[in-house]
Order: sequence, then C-alpha cells, then structure tokens
Amino acid sequence: MADLLSTSVSGLLAFQQALDVTSNNIANASTPGYSVETANLTPSPGQFTGSGYVGSGVMVQSITRAYNAQLTQQVRSSQSSYSSYNSLATQAQQIDNMLSDSTTGLSASLQSFVNALQSVSSSPTSTSARQAMLSQGTALAQQLQTYDSQIGQYSAQLESQIGTDVNQINTLASNIATLNQQIAAATASGQTPNQLLDQRGTLVDKLSQYIGVQTLPQANGSEDIYIGNGQALVSGAVAQPLTTIPGAYDPTQLNIGIQNGAGVTDITSSMTGGELGGLLSARNQVINPTQNALGRISVAVATLVNQQQQSGLTLNGTPGQPMFTVGGVQVLPNSGNTGSATVSVSRGSLSQLTTDNYTLQYTAGAWKLTDQTTGQAVSTTGSGTGASPLTGAGLSITITGTPAANDSYLIEPTAGASGGLTMQLTSPAQIAAASRAQATAGAANTGTATISSVGVTNPTSYAGNSYTVTFGAAGAYTVTSGTSTPPGATVATGTYASGQPIEFANQQLTLTGTPAAGDTFIVQPNSTANTGDNSNMLAMINGLSAKNLDGGSTSVNDAATNLLSQVGVVTQAAQNNAAAQQSVNQAATTARSNATGVNLDQQASDVLRYQQAYQAMAQVISISNQMFTSLIQAVG
Amino acid sequence: MTISTLSFQMNAVNQMDALQTAMSKTQTQLSTGKQIQTAADNPVGMSQVVQLNTQLSASQQYVTNGTLATTGLNLESQALTDATNTLQSARSLIVEANNGALNASQRQAIATQLTQMQQQLVSIGNRQDGQGNYLFSGYAAGTQPFAQNGTAVSYQGANQVNQVQLSADQSISTGDTGSSVFMNIPAGNGTFTTAAASGNTGTASVGNGTLTNPSAWVPGNYTITFGTGNTYQITNSAGASVSSGTYSPDAGGAFSISFNGAQLSFNGKPAVNDQFTVDAAGSASVFSTIAGAISALTSPTLNAAQVTTQLNGMLQQMDGALNNFNQVSASVGARLNAVATASSSAQSTQTDLQTTISKISDTNYAAATTQLSTEELALQAAQASYASMMQLTLFKYI
Repeated sequence: MADLLSTSVSGLLAFQQALDVTSNNIANASTPGYSVETANLTPSPGQFTGSGYVGSGVMVQSITRAYNAQLTQQVRSSQSSYSSYNSLATQAQQIDNMLSDSTTGLSASLQSFVNALQSVSSSPTSTSARQAMLSQGTALAQQLQTYDSQIGQYSAQLESQIGTDVNQINTLASNIATLNQQIAAATASGQTPNQLLDQRGTLVDKLSQYIGVQTLPQANGSEDIYIGNGQALVSGAVAQPLTTIPGAYDPTQLNIGIQNGAGVTDITSSMTGGELGGLLSARNQVINPTQNALGRISVAVATLVNQQQQSGLTLNGTPGQPMFTVGGVQVLPNSGNTGSATVSVSRGSLSQLTTDNYTLQYTAGAWKLTDQTTGQAVSTTGSGTGASPLTGAGLSITITGTPAANDSYLIEPTAGASGGLTMQLTSPAQIAAASRAQATAGAANTGTATISSVGVTNPTSYAGNSYTVTFGAAGAYTVTSGTSTPPGATVATGTYASGQPIEFANQQLTLTGTPAAGDTFIVQPNSTANTGDNSNMLAMINGLSAKNLDGGSTSVNDAATNLLSQVGVVTQAAQNNAAAQQSVNQAATTARSNATGVNLDQQASDVLRYQQAYQAMAQVISISNQMFTSLIQAVG
Repeated sequence: MTISTLSFQMNAVNQMDALQTAMSKTQTQLSTGKQIQTAADNPVGMSQVVQLNTQLSASQQYVTNGTLATTGLNLESQALTDATNTLQSARSLIVEANNGALNASQRQAIATQLTQMQQQLVSIGNRQDGQGNYLFSGYAAGTQPFAQNGTAVSYQGANQVNQVQLSADQSISTGDTGSSVFMNIPAGNGTFTTAAASGNTGTASVGNGTLTNPSAWVPGNYTITFGTGNTYQITNSAGASVSSGTYSPDAGGAFSISFNGAQLSFNGKPAVNDQFTVDAAGSASVFSTIAGAISALTSPTLNAAQVTTQLNGMLQQMDGALNNFNQVSASVGARLNAVATASSSAQSTQTDLQTTISKISDTNYAAATTQLSTEELALQAAQASYASMMQLTLFKYI
C-alpha cells in the first residue's frame, strides 16, 4: 500500500512539474527567442521483490529545451546579411533620394546653366540674359555645395552610427560573457540552465544584427564568439571590447579596432556583415565615391568655364575673370608620419582626373603613388621638386622638406572640390561673351575661305599681339607677326585643311573653304567695341558639352548621369539583397521557431494529458485509500 | 510538421507587412504618376529619363535661340527691302539725270534728292533692334555702324557677325555686317571700272565695259590715250604700251576697243590726247556710289560726256548694290527658313522625347490600378484568414 501511495505521489509530483513546464511554455508562447521546454519523464528505479522489480513511480529526470544549432546559425548569418544590406540600402537611399530628381537634379541644373549660356550667346548685350546666366551659375554652384554639405551630414551620421554600433556590440559582448560565466557555473551542477541559454541565444541573435558572428560552444556550456577573420569578441567569461580608432589620414573617418593583450589591432577591413559591416560598405561604396564624383563635376564645370572666361572679353572690354572658385586637392598626412615633408598637389589635365583617392608613400628613397580604389600603382614622371613635379593621374605633386621612410599621404583630388564651389562674378558685365582675339579677312582675298572661329587657347600666356596668316600655293600658310608689309617674323607655318584650326601664339583660327594663294587673314586683339561678339560664349557652350573627362569619353553631363545611375545601381542591389536576405532570415526564423518554439495546441494537449495523468494518479490514491479501508473493515 | 504559434503569428504579420509595403509603393506610383521615384527603382530607366530631359531642355533652348534670331533676321529683311526701294528710286533719278536734256538746275534738284536718299540709306544702315543693338554693326553691337561726314560715309562696325546654335550641329548667322551689305560691293563690272580723265575735251563717253575673255585679263590699271586719226594707245600703270590701234566709229559715232579680254564701248568723238582709264575693280560702297553721282551732277567742271561716263559707272555700281541687297535678302530668307525648319523639327523631336520619357517613367494607370486592387484583395484575405485562424485554438474547447 505504501508503495502504491508513494508511487502515486511520485506521479502527482511529476505531473505537477510537467504541468509547470507546460504552463511556462504557454506563458512564453509569444516570447521571442524562447525555446519550448520539455519535462523528460523517466520511471523511478524498481524495487526488488521476489517476483521481480516493481517500479516505484515516475520522476522528471530533466527539463530540456528544444535547440537546433544549424537553424540557429542560419538565422544569425541571414540576420547579419540582412542587417548589412539593409543598412547599406538605407544609407544609399539617402544619396539616391538626394540625386534622383529628373526635373531639379544635377543634370537639369547643368542643362539650365548651358541654356543660360545659350541665351547670352543669342543676346550677348542683354543684361537680363547675362544676369540669368549668373543666377543659373550661382544656383548650380549652390546645388553642388548643398549636395556636398548633405553628404557631409550623412557621413557624420554614419560615423556616429558606427560609434553607437560599436558600443552596442560591446554591451552585448559583455552581457554574453557574464551569461557564459553563469551558465558555466550552473552547468557544473549537472542540469542545463535553459533560461540562461535562451537569454544568451537571444543576445547572440541580437549581436548578429550588428556584426557577422561565429559561435563555438565550449564543454562547460559557455559559447565563444568570433567576428571578422576569427577575432575573439567573447571567449568564455571574457569580452574583448571593440574600439573606434580615428583614421590614420582622415581622423573623422573611424576605423574599428579590437583590444588584445598588446594593444589595439585595426580590424576594419575584416568587418563584414551586420549593421556595422553595412555602414562601412556604405562609406566605401556610396558616400565617399559620390562626394568624389560630385567634386569632379564641380572641378570640370569650374575649369571649363573659367578657362573660357579668361579667353574672353567682358562687356567692359577687359579680359574675363574666373567665374567659379573650386575647392583644392586635399592632402592628408598619415598620423604616423615622422618626416618633415610637406606635400602640395594641384590638378593638371581634366581628362586624366579620376574620382579615386590616392596614397603617396615614400619607400626605398622614392615616392610611390597608389590608386586606393583599384589598389594599382600609378606610373608617375618627375621627381617631385618644384621644377619637376611628380605627375600622374591628372595630378601634379610637389614635395618640400625631408620625408622619413614609409611616410605616406592620402590625396583626395576631388573630395573637397564641391564644398568650395562658389560664384565669383558679381556683375553681369563680367561675363566674357566676346573673344579676346578677332580675325579679319584681307580685303583683296580672292579665295572662298571664310572665318569660322577664332579664339584664345591659352589665356594666361596670350600676349595680345597682331598676326597675319598668309596663304601660299596648295594651302601652305605662314603666320607672321604684325599686320604691316613687309611681314614681320614668321611665327608658324603649316598646311591648311578646311575646318582644322591654325594654331599659333596661344590662339587658334579656324577657316572653312579654300583660300587662294596670296589671301591673308589678320588675327588681332578683339576690339573692346565688339560687345555683340558671342564667339567666346559659343566656345564655352561647346567646352561644357564636349567630352572632356575620362580621356575624352565623358562629358560633364554624362558624368552626372553616370553618377546617378551608379548610385541607383548600388542602392537597388542593396535593396534587392536586403529583401532577399530578409526572406531567407524570415524562413530561417520560421524554421527555427517551428523546431524550437511553442505550439499552443500542442501545449493544450499536454495540459490535458498531464491533467488526465494527474487525475488518474489522484484516483489511484483514492483507490489505495478504498483498498486500505476495505482491508481495515475486513480486519475490524 | 509543427508550426510554432509565435512563427505563425510572425509569418502572418510579415506577409501583411509585405503586402502593405507593396500597396504603398503602388499607391505612390498612382499618386505621383511616376513609376520611377528614384534611381534605385530603375537605374537604367532613370538615367535615360535624365538624359532625355536634358535633350528636351536643350531642344527647347534651341527653339528659343531660333525665335530670337528670327526677330533680328526679320528686322534685317525689312531693312534690306527698304534699302532696295530707296536705291531703286535713286537709280531712276540717275537714269533721268543721265538724259543730256537736263539743265544744270534740274541736275542740281536731282542731286539734292539723291543727297536725301543717301541719308535715308545711312539711317536704314544704322537701324537698331528692340534692345538697342545695331542691326548692321556685327560684333560691335553698340557701335553705330555708319558715320556720315558730308557725302562721305564710313563703316565703323565689326566685320564679323554672331552665330547662334539651332541644334547641336547647326548654326546660323544672326545678321550681316554693314560692310558686307552696304560697303564692299564690287565696283564697276566686278573686274574693272572705267572713267574719263577730267581734262578731256572731246565728246566721247565710255561705257562700263565687259570682260569678254576672262582668261586673257591681266589685272592692273590701264590708260587709253587717243591720238590723231582715230588712233589710240593703251598703257599699263608702268607706262608700258599694252596695245594700240585705230578705232572705226559707226554711223552714230559709237565704237569699241578691245584689249586683254576686255571690251570698252565709246560713244562720241574723242579729242586728241583725251584719256580714259580702266582700273582694277576695288569695292565701292552704295554711299560712295550715290556720292559719286551727286558730285558728277553738281560738278561745274565736267563736260556732258564726262558726266555720262561717270553716271554710267554709278548706274552699274547701283545694279551691283541692288544685286548685293538681293543676295543678302535671299540669304536672310534662307536663314529664316532654316530657323522655321529647325524649330518644327525640334518640336516634333520634343514630342518624341516626351513620349519616350512618359513611356519610361510614367505610371501605367491600368496596370497599376489592377495591381493595387489585387494587392488590396490579397491583404484583405490575409487579414480575414489571420483573424479567423487566430480563433482556432484547442484552449477554446477545454
């Protein structure tokens, strides 16, 4: 009887405990990261009797949680990918929104400026057309400047987000380390601390939102967390905090370091996955390239317009002044430099100017220029002195002072350009619509050649003298200085081809038709009375429309369109990847949840099952009582 | 397979989220009328739209350029018509004056009228457009092209005119210079001019001459000197004899002399040592032509034959000037045509561009509306089924 009772009590206790577990499952049915727990019932050891072993009831041997390591890993890796793409997409979308406007975007502003130039060319003396051109030029400069400052804000937000993420990762890592310690202690008692495991799992899930993680379970129940190329973020009960390191060249751009015994190791390049990985990608793929590309557009507009301005005459008859100022090349020395060299860089050829950044390093007694984007060495000429500047990649580099070995400098040819783009002209009269040179056909010419255009090609060296182009037989021509007879010194000779410019003394004359032998053309400084001359404005329009970038394959407008489509492609790819990874993550989360989560119907049936078992046990006690009573009655 | 309650709920919510996102996107397409909101929606489409918009804007600017050019060209065309009319009147007066029957005071009256016509031509040449720019001063838009000092008129404008772009590869001149319209008109017959020396005493006058054999013509200045007995000698500017002979007048006293491919017609009897000159044609201005006629008509010293010779020359130059006006007018007309053609082709290009832009970037309302109703239906179904499935739990029956 006693056995019957004790067996029944063991059942009651076991089923009560099972019901406790079930009700805990029901209570946590909606708790994210909760793994369904099972009370594992096992028969109590039997008691030996002559007729064999009689079972002594049931006991809850252990309470285990459902766990699937593979699905958990899938959830985390897809979460890392999704967060990374999503954060890249969010950053890129800002730039995409900023640039995407087919009616007020950069291309539209560039075209409005060119249209304003066209209006001036149609009415060179009209002050209102000139004023409109100044306004459109100012608007264009302001738009590029606004883009630049917006990118600056996005960049600052991004850097601050990197700091926040690093703090978040450190907090999670430290919590995981603490849990590891508690889990190890609890596991030593022989039972698994399910709730602590769930808690840690949730924290690691959360950590995977910020950075890609790998986990390695240890025998004592703790879990080591690795990031990047196998750097231990958490090992056992110890967390290695990440830190942000100001960039060696640009201290505003943060790098990621991890503390180890010796100090801090820079692990930025291996930081992939998670929000942090996405932010670093956004910086390298969208923010910096966009700033550089916009900068190059600013440089191109300023250079082309300024050069033509200087080749022309203003309404007052004076040589034109540059219309725009543009920010210069940024040179950032490495914070670890020990030498005393100063590097100054100016832009050379527009067609060679790229949107990449470069590093200049002094190794083995020579300067080495490397394209940061491609990682390729750039071939250079010159020694870097003032007389022989180091030239390459459309840059002209002058070094003064003494460099130490391995000193290096970051050269940003265009990043700072847009920020400094401002309109310099204040009065409509300052627009140089007229050319500084004019050409006149000789009165006695008998050929059919007519003047197609004349212009100054190198305004800084143009001396403003008069020249006579005299044709001989078979299109041979001689350019002599002065307009008097006998002719002055010969300046240039050549053979004429219709439509091909005749170049001499920093100017060029283009004729069409066939000149006869003895025909002359006089090229001389333009009269200040020629206020209606629009030839310089036409040259400016042609310059802005011509393919002057990328070795003569890209116009300014092409560059703007290319930038837009590049940003669009990066954004679209990031959005698509984020969407794909989100589905993968949802599928993995569902699979894991199905494997380890709570199904209420199942729990309801468990409740019924355990309730019935409990009731049955209680009935057995009652029967045992009846048996005992009938025995007493029989005896009594 | 077991489905956890939490994942069932989460899945349902995720699905509804996705449907709502899709609906919001479709709704944005419907409300903005654009199916591309940013470059990320369709990078290729967006860059095409931006490029097409740039082309559209440039094309509109070209039409504006053309319209502005038209204004100037129409003014120029009117000026040329007026100048032609004035010059024709002047020509009729000179034809009238060339009639030997007029006396000195009648010739003086004609000269006075010619003076007024010359002034009229100067004022036509100095016309301005609405912005105060001179039509005929070329680049020197603010400089009055013609300055008059007595009957002498000089050109002060520039020798080049502006070009404007009608398309990326078509430009036209927006005007013509005063020098090409009024000043540099080939004198005489275009090759040489003829004149009678001032000391001539005979009655012979010379016509304008024609070039019968251009390949035989040797450019230069020549003097024809008549001798006794119908002889003549032609010398070049170096004094060397080029040709000599005798002329034979017909019944009316007319005769002609040929040399170096040129043929000169004379009328009347030259006195011995009378000289006529044949000079390489330079260029003459319409003003100097009229001035020449005025000075011939008012000259107290010239005899009738000399006046006739001079007036003949002036008439020929006037024909040259009228011809020049005509050619410039034709060229202005051709340019106006070019503007009209360019502008109508630009307009059809613009329509094409707008159609293409619309095809790429505009929302297809039929498709988008259908899509929105499909998405709406799906969302409703998802919500309804979720709500009803949430009712299904075993706990209801315990």
